[in-house]
Amino acid sequence: MTLGAVDIASYLPVLLLMTMAILFAIGNLAGSQLIGPRRTGAVKEGTYESGMNPVGNARKRFNIRFYLIAMVFLVFDIEIIFLYPWAVTFPNLDHQYADGAVWLGRILFFMLTTIVAYIYGYRKGVFKFD
Amino acid sequence: MIEKLSTLWPEITLLIAATLSMILGVSPSLAIRRLCAPIAAAALVIAGLLAYGDDPRAATVPNLALPHLAQYGKVITAAIGLLLLLLCVGLPDRDYEAKLARGGVFDALRNTRGEFYAFFLFSLTGLMLCAGADDLIWLFLALELVSLPTYIMVAISTSRNRSMEAAVKYFFLGALGAATFLYGFALIYGATGTTYLPKIAEIFQAQYAAGGLSGIAVAGLVLSVIGVCFKIAAVPMHFYTADVYQGAHASVTAFLAFVPKTAGFFALMLLLATVGWASGEATTSGLPQPLHTILWIIAVLTMTAGNVLAVLQNSVKRIFAYSSIAHSGYMLVGLIAGPVVGDGSLQSSGLAAVLFYLVAYGVTNVGVFAVLASLEKRKAGAAAETTDEVDSISDFRGLCSTSPLLGWTLVISCVGLLGLPPLLGFFSKMPLLTSGIRAGEYGLVVVLVINSAIAAYYYLRIASTALLESPDLASSSTVRPVGIPTRPIAGLAAAACVVALSLYTITDFARFGAKYDLPHKQVIPAPSAPSAKEAPAKSPSAPSAPAAQPQANVPGATTTN
Amino acid sequence: MNSLSHMLPMLTSLDLSSTLAQGPLPAAMSTITLYHYLFTSAALFCIGLIGFLTRRNLIIMFLCTEMMFQAAGIALIAFSRFHLNHTGETFVIFILTVAAAEAALALALVVLLFRRKESLDASVWTELKG
Repeated sequence: MTLGAVDIASYLPVLLLMTMAILFAIGNLAGSQLIGPRRTGAVKEGTYESGMNPVGNARKRFNIRFYLIAMVFLVFDIEIIFLYPWAVTFPNLDHQYADGAVWLGRILFFMLTTIVAYIYGYRKGVFKFD
Repeated sequence: MIEKLSTLWPEITLLIAATLSMILGVSPSLAIRRLCAPIAAAALVIAGLLAYGDDPRAATVPNLALPHLAQYGKVITAAIGLLLLLLCVGLPDRDYEAKLARGGVFDALRNTRGEFYAFFLFSLTGLMLCAGADDLIWLFLALELVSLPTYIMVAISTSRNRSMEAAVKYFFLGALGAATFLYGFALIYGATGTTYLPKIAEIFQAQYAAGGLSGIAVAGLVLSVIGVCFKIAAVPMHFYTADVYQGAHASVTAFLAFVPKTAGFFALMLLLATVGWASGEATTSGLPQPLHTILWIIAVLTMTAGNVLAVLQNSVKRIFAYSSIAHSGYMLVGLIAGPVVGDGSLQSSGLAAVLFYLVAYGVTNVGVFAVLASLEKRKAGAAAETTDEVDSISDFRGLCSTSPLLGWTLVISCVGLLGLPPLLGFFSKMPLLTSGIRAGEYGLVVVLVINSAIAAYYYLRIASTALLESPDLASSSTVRPVGIPTRPIAGLAAAACVVALSLYTITDFARFGAKYDLPHKQVIPAPSAPSAKEAPAKSPSAPSAPAAQPQANVPGATTTN
Repeated sequence: MNSLSHMLPMLTSLDLSSTLAQGPLPAAMSTITLYHYLFTSAALFCIGLIGFLTRRNLIIMFLCTEMMFQAAGIALIAFSRFHLNHTGETFVIFILTVAAAEAALALALVVLLFRRKESLDASVWTELKG
């Protein structure tokens, strides 16, 4: 149950690095507090938006279309999970058996189901942005 | 794997039809959108014929303890699916199509017709897959495929807030149930190192031989059973039932009362078949002690809670929801009693009794909900006519005189659910009782009989309201049929089945479906040692149940008369 | 990887304290047993269950059920490593898929509900009672 076999001493560099990082941060904050100039203004107090002027409230509601886009993304996202194991297994098939076509057929059928979902989404108007 | 695909033609048919109706359903042309229901019906017929016509030897799942369950399950799914389809036609998009007819613009996003039929078929596909499952992964996916579409069907069945609320309740408790049996499956995999059910059975038998199941295996089985209890609406997971059944449209409620429940019982059978009903540590019936105890408690609580709560209700849909819980409890008795090795007669095999009961309950249930779906209540006083579903018992006053067909369908279905002798309910409940007695479960049988007596109160209350009381003309709201002809037809067909099936019972088919082979060459108690040698050879009549043998050739109905 | 004969006794009697490191693993991991993983997964499952029963926000409740799903996933992966086969890992891929489908469904339902009542509190919905 214990993790006793691990050599704690080997983690010393990590500890050293963490200490240095914390000290560096504290030192910088303290330094700017002590010697930095203090000027304030409306622009400086505002939210940093990569140069854009911030508009409205952070709790803005998003258009429901983003939900549909998220769902379409989810379909492809999940499809990839199945493609990886297949792709890893495919080259390792035994060449003596003619399984290759069957394996290819399976994944093509699987992709076909995604295409059907895509057609459905298209007909449903998921990809229309207006 | 390719060989396995050849046993899946019914499911593939349904899947193709589902995708077709999903895509056709978003078409702007009404004629094309109308194709959805005929496509679904055709697919169900084809799937049923494919499943029925399958050579049993080819369709058999090899090595599985219940080799014929797949074929039986697929056929009854297709048959009752057709009845349910008849009931559901006209439900999706009725309001929306009416709006279009008044000159609205078609918007594919607002249209739910295609989805409804697609999800209907997906769910039935899941049920078929569930019957043929031979792997835990498969079983998990099949159970989810049954459930996920039903959540949406509940949500889109009406546009009322109630349906939304019902769908959310159903979904969240469903996810809880799914997570529970999933964890159970994970533990079963941990205990055995495989998800292939026959292999699991083999390893469990080896564990018996070595002195009992491992703790992890028992924990896994118990968690799985509790999780699946959600699907069959049994006690620890029954809270959603009344709310969901009331919130959904009556046609969808009929669907909910049959499809997930049947899937749950198939899953329970497959799971329990891995440990077997003839374990070395035999209690009265052969399930291992902890499982037997838990199922026993669940069965008793489910029967009692269902019936007692149903008595307290005034809403008809809630009454049938609670009675659905109670019926699950009855069926658990058959599940605890277990099968007889080989084909087993209906009278002594609990599994055959459960399989038959599922059909009987499904059919009768369609009858009840078809009546509910065919009627609507109109408030006369309001300026714009508002319609509501019939829900209170008083809405059925004198239904037999106002609309005799619906009234008599309701009466026949109620009496059928109650289980009075000339109707189907009796012939399906008898085998449960006899199988319980055969297995020595006298306590359960007594509870079952007492509960049937309690159930008589509310079933007869509904039936007598429709049959004996006079219609309430003074009321502010009037009850009248909805103008959808398929719903009364579904009801009539169901009522006809209730009567016809009790004359010509399908008990032989149920017996066929419940064929139970001992999982692998397992350790058998000394007295029946000869049968252990024959079991691997799959002899059609294993001689371990000599008492049941004379009855085996006689259809169940005639012996009980 | 070990031979089959090594595996077989483990299948029949599951020894929880035996180490997971049956293959080549770093020495530091050699003391983490199956027990640790099972404890983690059981804890996750229980946290999810308790959260589900006590919280009333629909999104949090949904996250709790997802947590229970992932608890099963952790158990499956650990068992998969323990039994030295890939069945458990395959199972997990399917669980991820189902979880994604459930997420899509749950979000759709939650959006529907929010549109009707402008609240995600489960106790706002009390129309069905009896």
